[in-house]
Amino acid sequence: MQDATSPAELMVILRHAPHGSSWLKEGLDVALVAAAFDRRVTLLFMGEGITALLEGQQAGPLGQKGTAPTLAMLEMYDIDNLLVEQRGMDELGLTSDQLMLPVTGVDDAEISRLVASHALVLNF
Amino acid sequence: MLLHTLNRPPTSQVLAQALAGMGSDDKLLLIEDGVIGALPAHRVHFDRVAGRLYALQEDLESRGLLSLCDEAVRVVDVEGFISMTETCERTVSWY
Amino acid sequence: MRYAILLLDAPYTSQASHSALRFTRALLARGHDVEGVFFYHDGVHNAARLAAPPQDEPHLVDGWAELAREHAVPLQVCIAAALRRGLLDEQEAARHGKQGASVAPPFELTGLGQLVDLGLRCDRLITFGP
Repeated sequence: MQDATSPAELMVILRHAPHGSSWLKEGLDVALVAAAFDRRVTLLFMGEGITALLEGQQAGPLGQKGTAPTLAMLEMYDIDNLLVEQRGMDELGLTSDQLMLPVTGVDDAEISRLVASHALVLNF
Repeated sequence: MLLHTLNRPPTSQVLAQALAGMGSDDKLLLIEDGVIGALPAHRVHFDRVAGRLYALQEDLESRGLLSLCDEAVRVVDVEGFISMTETCERTVSWY
Repeated sequence: MRYAILLLDAPYTSQASHSALRFTRALLARGHDVEGVFFYHDGVHNAARLAAPPQDEPHLVDGWAELAREHAVPLQVCIAAALRRGLLDEQEAARHGKQGASVAPPFELTGLGQLVDLGLRCDRLITFGP
């Protein structure tokens, strides 16, 4: 396990809503695998990806698991740097108390700083 | 300095995401359908990256857009694309 | 420089596969090392052994295989994304009781950890999405 104060290596940006496509699930899988290999991971929820964090999600009509159960396990993987795009939150009319996990809102300037400070940035 | 690629036209919300991720000296390269953004009528969408906007020649050519490309947009071929990935520290793709 | 490519969409669905192949060929022509092409999400369809495009269209699957043969570029396909989409090599076909493999060398099924490793090990990772 790396020093908790070392900079994160991988930033995964999640821009898609749950259920509608597999982007969110497959993006999260990259984050989980990286964390399992002891890489420090930052997750940024952007745009519609923010809806992945809504409370009260359920399985799909044919039992599709969705991503909420995976998000609930992030802490076990030591993925605790959870960021949301503040502009996306505003556009969706959401506030952080409607989300299932504690998150930090970031503006454009912070997002570009984060993109520049990670060794690898992957968009999903 | 990072390179960002964008393969969606300016009507897509992905443009705003790419711009959010860009630092003040990062470059933006339009590829694939992104090159539609190189039309002069779309210049207004790229104010924030004036002087740092590029478009991929092969993708302009295949779409009949090369002669219509805004003069403020720098045109690079795939060799130039590679050269930009060499000079820029990393490349982030927005799609 | 050491490059890695990440390809995220299926061939003949978007331009992504064409762009990625064009870029990778140009990288090699310029003398760069391509340490891996990783196929993820719908990009795994680039490994479809049975792809049969019309003769007047570029054969993308063969195009990748040719790069692997001529330049020893590893073609790594995410196994989890591939199995879900019906892309199985001989070993996985046998394991799942399926007749015939839909993925063949030089494409290799591998774990997502390889993507993270490639991305952090290489000097540059370039992603092509839909």
